[in-house]
Amino acid sequence: MTSKSPTLASGSRLFRSETVTPLILIALVAVLVIAPLVKIVLATLTPDGLAAWQAVLASPLSQNLWWKPLANTLILGFGVASGCLLLGGFLAWLVILTDVPAPRFLGVLSTLPFMIPSFAAALAWGTLFRNSRLGGSAGFFEVNGIAIPDWLAWGLVPTLIVLVAHYYSLAYTIIAAALSSVGADLIESAQMAGAKRPRIFFGIILPVVTPALIAAASLTFAGAVSNFAAPALLGLPVRMQTLSTRLFGMIETGSGERGFVLALLLIGVSASFLFLADRVVSGRKAFITVTGKGGRTKRFALGAWRWPLFALAVLLGVGTTIVPVLVLAASSLAPQSGALFSNWTLHFWIGEGGGQMAQGQAGIFRNPVLIDALWNTIKLGLTVAGITMVLGLALAHTIVRRKGTLLANVLSQLAFMPLLIPSIAFAAAYIALFGAPIGPFPSLYGTFALLVIAAAAHNLPYAVQSGRSVLGQVSADIEESAKLTGASAVRRMLVIVFPLAIRGLLAGAILVFVKMVRDLSLVVLLFSATSPVLSMVAYRYASEGFMQFANAITLLILVICLAASLVAQALQSRVQKWKQS
Amino acid sequence: MTAQPAGIADAIKITDLVKQFGAFTAVDHVDIAVPKGAFLVLVGPSGCGKSTLLRMLAGLDEPSAGEISFLGNTVSSGTGGVVADPRQRNAGLVFQSYALWPHMTVANNISWPLKVAKWSKADRDARVNEVLALLGISALRDRYPAEISGGQQQRVAIARTIAPKPSILLFDEPLSNLDAKLRIEMRSELMRIHRATGATSVYVTHDQVEAMTMATHVAVLNIGRVEQFGAPIDLLREPATTFVATFLGTPPANLLPVVRRGAELIYGDLPLADAAIAGNLDSAQLLFRAQDIGIGRVEGRPSLAATFSEAAPIAGQTMVTAMVGDVRITGMVDGYFHAMPGDPIELSFLRDPDAVFTTGGERVAR
Repeated sequence: MTSKSPTLASGSRLFRSETVTPLILIALVAVLVIAPLVKIVLATLTPDGLAAWQAVLASPLSQNLWWKPLANTLILGFGVASGCLLLGGFLAWLVILTDVPAPRFLGVLSTLPFMIPSFAAALAWGTLFRNSRLGGSAGFFEVNGIAIPDWLAWGLVPTLIVLVAHYYSLAYTIIAAALSSVGADLIESAQMAGAKRPRIFFGIILPVVTPALIAAASLTFAGAVSNFAAPALLGLPVRMQTLSTRLFGMIETGSGERGFVLALLLIGVSASFLFLADRVVSGRKAFITVTGKGGRTKRFALGAWRWPLFALAVLLGVGTTIVPVLVLAASSLAPQSGALFSNWTLHFWIGEGGGQMAQGQAGIFRNPVLIDALWNTIKLGLTVAGITMVLGLALAHTIVRRKGTLLANVLSQLAFMPLLIPSIAFAAAYIALFGAPIGPFPSLYGTFALLVIAAAAHNLPYAVQSGRSVLGQVSADIEESAKLTGASAVRRMLVIVFPLAIRGLLAGAILVFVKMVRDLSLVVLLFSATSPVLSMVAYRYASEGFMQFANAITLLILVICLAASLVAQALQSRVQKWKQS
Repeated sequence: MTAQPAGIADAIKITDLVKQFGAFTAVDHVDIAVPKGAFLVLVGPSGCGKSTLLRMLAGLDEPSAGEISFLGNTVSSGTGGVVADPRQRNAGLVFQSYALWPHMTVANNISWPLKVAKWSKADRDARVNEVLALLGISALRDRYPAEISGGQQQRVAIARTIAPKPSILLFDEPLSNLDAKLRIEMRSELMRIHRATGATSVYVTHDQVEAMTMATHVAVLNIGRVEQFGAPIDLLREPATTFVATFLGTPPANLLPVVRRGAELIYGDLPLADAAIAGNLDSAQLLFRAQDIGIGRVEGRPSLAATFSEAAPIAGQTMVTAMVGDVRITGMVDGYFHAMPGDPIELSFLRDPDAVFTTGGERVAR
């Protein structure tokens, strides 16, 4: 950051760096976020683009290009949002407000599903439920004599289930945080007023957490409508299209403009709901953020329901975390998908190619493409995490220190925009911008660099958020008190700022790393044969029917994500010993 | 307590009350009774069990043993648990955190309990206006709790509690979150409201000044037990234990450990009093009020060399604190007093000790 030297001589330098840095940042963010969006809009305003608008919205094709995918997308959005509210709300209530056994364990269990990428759950579903309608090997249940109807094997229903299973933990986290801010005092004062349990629930608890419920609903809605992996794996085989799979298909088949039009429409659908939700809970009604004195929470006795509800919660958690992982693991070891637990072999992991199995393909650790993809993935994760953290810290610093100025407002608005944009649409915008050479610069399409730039841009909101929390750890007072001892800027950085900031920095970086390693919807459009990443390879294998390979790679992704989280935790406790007490 | 004449039941009667959390005894065999309209202050250091006692009075926690009765009706007992739930007790509680419902406006916060109690709309509106006016917050009626200041939130919390006209008002350290000036203001405000409502009040605090200024009855609690119960002046004049003696009063009273030597009680080498006042005890503690200790040698009175520590002017006098070894002694001197910390000064004992305690802290009867 800029160092503030007290001497007058450095005044001009100080002035310069303090105004120029934000301008550079604005320019950078504009290029990263605004330029692609402007470009994608412009691309649909060319003659070809206008034709694409017409084709999508008002032509015989529009039924298939827009209306049906829109209907599916909205069904998924509303279905997933309500499912997540129900499950997440139920679990949050159970864990925070009742005397259910082992609430901490249930709490951890309820946050896990979000760690597992949605395509893992989708693959696990396919491994168990796929039926023989489409040829290829059937799933576990059908082979073992349990007929699986089409509606349960493919299309909307399984997509909905898989997405709910993935996103409910997001709803849980938000609702649980809100519920635990409902202090025991609030409830006891209602008790003192003579209100009975239902009255307290509907009169006090529910209204107080309503903003959180709306936030949870809108976030899970946005997540579901922009999800690519689940509908692609479970819906595409039976031609169930959502906006994101349609958009993918259009760009894959070379109808770029139609893809761009769909991307804009998808952005519209997702953003309008986020925006609406934000309007509903903003202003005077945004009370949930200003209370939270609580501390102590009131736990209601469940009586005879204690253990049954506990069992139900465990079942939910295990069914959406451990079961899918076990299924993937078993499947990656079993030559036949009907016999998940017999004839286990490591062929799909380390087998040599050329034999009868897997059409002669070698195991994933002997496959050079895959080894390449593994390194690419880690490289991508690390690069993007590093870039976004530096960028996020710089942005957060500028925003916090210039709080209230136009500049800070513009920056924070710009930096948070990607949050409103589904990643696949964001990828489409990047293709629109960088798909062709710009002046002297060559086309970046298909390069690793484009992937990195797009990913960094898309992760900006998270980066700025963690940058802010990092700066929150290092208050101006703390730094100034170090300054008064006469410590140099470098020394202050090393001894004061860095140790305090490292926790937030690491947490932010790991979050971004994990997001990138398991991301499919951003890379699916930007990936190329020269820079494959794991999730993309898994998706390719899955669409070609090599389920064991797909499952094995997915497991590998899970292991990398898990390892990253563990490393983060270990590092944190090692670096910040004073937090251990 | 002595038997009551029939028909005049205590407004609040706590009998042999015990509350245990596992092996920990938070409230230990407490007996307190106060008449209708009393202002009972439960005072003690943090963790002394005063809030637990209040929560049992409110009906939020049930006692492990013993009994609570309001106007002769048992509301909680160790055998029956919470016999009457909070509303049936006709009691209101003001929380330390105020516990205002954040999603309701000030007016709705006050009227919701009335709604629960099934008051008619017209009655509710009238009562809301009445208590808003009583607390002087009519202008805030349509604000949300987050939009008003801490002192205003405090007033809303009180308004909400008194709106249903409870016959018993409970306060859990209500002023501890306010700044010093506002605290004094709210103190007299609360006493005004107590007079206006006539409700029997129980007030929990760790601030002995609040106890001395507001109470008709004070119970000093320490590690779950009532150290002493009575009128504030009695507790100040006749503290039953050294805990009460040092907890109440500004400036705090001084306690000096003494031993018997012949017919005298000596502190170090200094004879301080006639051994007869300690009965047959060989060692004791003597209580000297700050006003009974002067600065500088006084002819015919015992005096002691000390090290000056600090001086605080109070209403034309100065409260001087000095150290004798590890013992901190506070005396009073007229006018202003100046010294540098560490300066040697002389302390004189102007009068005989006010009270004698055993080394265990019990008062020795005269």
